[in-house]
Amino acid sequence: MTGPASELILFQVGPRTFAAVVHDAIRIGSVRDVPPEELVLETALGTPSACARGIVVASHDEAVELTLVVDQVLGTRSVPEEQVQPLPAFAAACLTSGAVTGFVLLDGDPLLLVDLPTLVRERATAVPA
Amino acid sequence: MAEPKEAQQPEAGAQPAPEAWFFCLRLLGGRYAFEAPLVTEVVRLGPLTRLPAAPAFLPGVFTHRGEVLPVLDVAQLVGQGSVTLRPSTRAAIVHCGPWKVAVVSDSVEGLVAIPRRQLEPPPAESSGVAEFLSAVGRDRAGAVAILDLPRLVETARARAVPAGSGSA
Repeated sequence: MTGPASELILFQVGPRTFAAVVHDAIRIGSVRDVPPEELVLETALGTPSACARGIVVASHDEAVELTLVVDQVLGTRSVPEEQVQPLPAFAAACLTSGAVTGFVLLDGDPLLLVDLPTLVRERATAVPA
Repeated sequence: MAEPKEAQQPEAGAQPAPEAWFFCLRLLGGRYAFEAPLVTEVVRLGPLTRLPAAPAFLPGVFTHRGEVLPVLDVAQLVGQGSVTLRPSTRAAIVHCGPWKVAVVSDSVEGLVAIPRRQLEPPPAESSGVAEFLSAVGRDRAGAVAILDLPRLVETARARAVPAGSGSA
């Protein structure tokens, strides 16, 4: 790989795998010691079943840290930027969530690329803590 | 789909009426078509990736030649069922203004030519698919309902709740 690359974190919510920019994740850890009001369980991606891991995400104003609960963190991948595509315009105009921003083509299959700060912000807006 | 009036035959010695080309597919138990120049190609869907927080008429996206394309299910949009999606399902890739979508159907018939003067106004209904008809016509295979596809796609976009303006 010689061109510019995107560093992505891969994680699972339910049976599906998603990708996000590594930079958006502050840290990854257990959810056991996180106060309930800082946990984000239900999002546009669905509800995790195992709730095994948490991805700590800074909100847009960076004043609050929220923990996105996921079933599994699969690791990170360095992906050539040409394999990252924006959401098709029509799909972007129709989705009720702004958190899905595009796709990563891994082994030819499109994997949803998620904007973590937007995802946790949408949840925070919908369900006041 | 309402039956149109019997097609008129050209008078003896008259110039043949200019024909309009439409792209025809089978949907909702009938034959539907739209302006042929809107279609760029017909492809098989392949594996579909579902989108979270998507309306029912947008069942997912698929990859075609490295490009991710959204799928539009017209049957879902008009509230009259849904197209059964399989990897073998064929889709017509269309350009409607700024939007590029893959319209799925039960089967694809292909190009049909209908003399423009034989096109008639659609039935005066304002519900279901009738809302999006621009004309009805007839060819050798029978009646064809002509969809105003750009209006249909734009209506789909308008009916979806855009991100940030609805509940998550």
